[in-house]
Amino acid sequence: MLLEVERLDVRYGRNHAIRALDLELAEGEIVTVLGANGAGKSSLLKAVQGTVKPAAGAVRLNGETVTGWSSPKRVRAGLTLVPEGRQIFVSLTVHENLQMGAYSRSDNFDREIDEIYERFPNLAARRDMLASVLSGGEQQMLAISRALLARPRIMMLDEPSLGLSPILVQSLFDLIADLNRDGLTILLVEQNTHMALQTAHRGYVLELGATVLSGTAEELLADDRLEEAYLGGN
Amino acid sequence: MDLSQLPQQIVNGLMLGGVYVMVAVAFTLIIGMLNFLNFTVPALFMLAAVLMWAILEGHGIALDLTAIAVLLVLAMMVADRLQQARLPASVKTVGALGLVAGACVFLWLILSFKPGPAVFAWLDGAVGASGRWLLGIVVAFATVAVLSLLIERFTYRYMKAKYGDATEHALPLVSSLGFLIVIEHTVISTWGSDSLTTESPFGNASFELGPVLFSVPQLLSLILSLAIVFGLSVMLKTTKLGRALRSIAERPDTAPLMGVEVSRIVPVVYVIAGLLCATAGILFTINYTTVDAYIGDTVATVAIAGMVLGGLGNVWGAIVGAMLIGMVEVMSIYMVGATFKKIPIWGLLLLILIVRPTGLFGHTAIGKGKF
Repeated sequence: MLLEVERLDVRYGRNHAIRALDLELAEGEIVTVLGANGAGKSSLLKAVQGTVKPAAGAVRLNGETVTGWSSPKRVRAGLTLVPEGRQIFVSLTVHENLQMGAYSRSDNFDREIDEIYERFPNLAARRDMLASVLSGGEQQMLAISRALLARPRIMMLDEPSLGLSPILVQSLFDLIADLNRDGLTILLVEQNTHMALQTAHRGYVLELGATVLSGTAEELLADDRLEEAYLGGN
Repeated sequence: MDLSQLPQQIVNGLMLGGVYVMVAVAFTLIIGMLNFLNFTVPALFMLAAVLMWAILEGHGIALDLTAIAVLLVLAMMVADRLQQARLPASVKTVGALGLVAGACVFLWLILSFKPGPAVFAWLDGAVGASGRWLLGIVVAFATVAVLSLLIERFTYRYMKAKYGDATEHALPLVSSLGFLIVIEHTVISTWGSDSLTTESPFGNASFELGPVLFSVPQLLSLILSLAIVFGLSVMLKTTKLGRALRSIAERPDTAPLMGVEVSRIVPVVYVIAGLLCATAGILFTINYTTVDAYIGDTVATVAIAGMVLGGLGNVWGAIVGAMLIGMVEVMSIYMVGATFKKIPIWGLLLLILIVRPTGLFGHTAIGKGKF
């Protein structure tokens, strides 16, 4: 397994955000984590990336326990997070944002930036402008490109479709499938259940920080309990 | 009023502004990056100026104080390493106790034998008294650099570790005030609170250009300070470290996702700001030859005024603001006399803030796009 999460517990004071959660991610997979607001999806990604310290449990990357590692160290080990709300640096130019993505690398990445500009001409046209001029969709492309420049083995995306128009959501999920075909392993947190399950191979459904349902995308799409998890009913 | 003196006063104002610029930029760097008004900035400026004075005057105790500061920081670094090392808790406890005991013995040795004067006499013999200003620069830089690390440890990092929120800036502000008081009173209890005078190692070298008299050391200081600040802004704009600093300034929680080790870069910022203050302090002693334990307070209020005038957290704003304040100060001494010099400075600040609450070059949103 490329990524293993074992009996993970995350607490914020009295709030128990993640309860003894198990999750596995094999090389080349797209796995999606679904659930209502407050189910603990973002906390899971933060604990895997290392920006939140888990109260208990372990995170293993390629068999190595990384639970005590800092976030930058995990980035260097091939784990990268596209955070919720994109979090691009609006006081830096588009190009500088991309350079920040490659911060952990010491080799030459000019060719990779050129490839990104070829893929997203809108970014190329604004390369020397402040990133604040980008539209929501362009900002999401920049956030994903920035994460790609770290040359990750696993990319985690936290609600990437939030606030995007339906057409942009479609091209976003096409991009995710494309990246996966090129060999990137993806852990995707989404509110947009149907789009996520159409793209992903497998999925987990969280409720109050614990897995209530898991299986292949086809199984989950056919399962009535999926709706219940979102409505919070029993 | 004799207007023939005007060009001379403008030049004097620029020279004074050059000192303020570096202190204002030091403030700006830390407030821009960490959203925290660091009150140790004026203390480090004063300390560097007084250390420079003490070495020029041959006070060996300055060397003792430097040794103590270096010792404290070394002990702190070893303690940090010890804490992070993978050792049994009992070994760590013994190590920590040994460290404290060793530090106490070293402290006692320095305080009881006061080796400074002897070292000084030996150095004077070996290098000659003219080498003193070089020694002064080394001692001032070294002390301020290691103190910056100590201050970072116990203002920003301590509070962040304890409360997990770097944006809570009231707490480090108060602990930085504590450091200000400790440093000021160390100087006062060592050398008293009166004016301390020395002679410039460069004498009164000067040249005349038309009606204006230029002091060579002052002119060189102005050029040096502008060059340093210019270099700093180029560094912020174009280098990898500069990009990392700007990304931390904007989003301290996102920068680590790019692989930026925030906890390693923040001390670098403290040391850069400290060295700016030290440079300003050294130049102050060489140019104006009179220092005291309170020059930090004066320079700080003026530099803060300059920084606010230019726009919080904006390097170029700090430069223009500090130059403007230096100019207003000299001009108002010239026109209305030294007694009232504060009125034009703070009046100007008040007026500009009424018209432009963000300062001359400031952004409306503190925390965004500050460099």
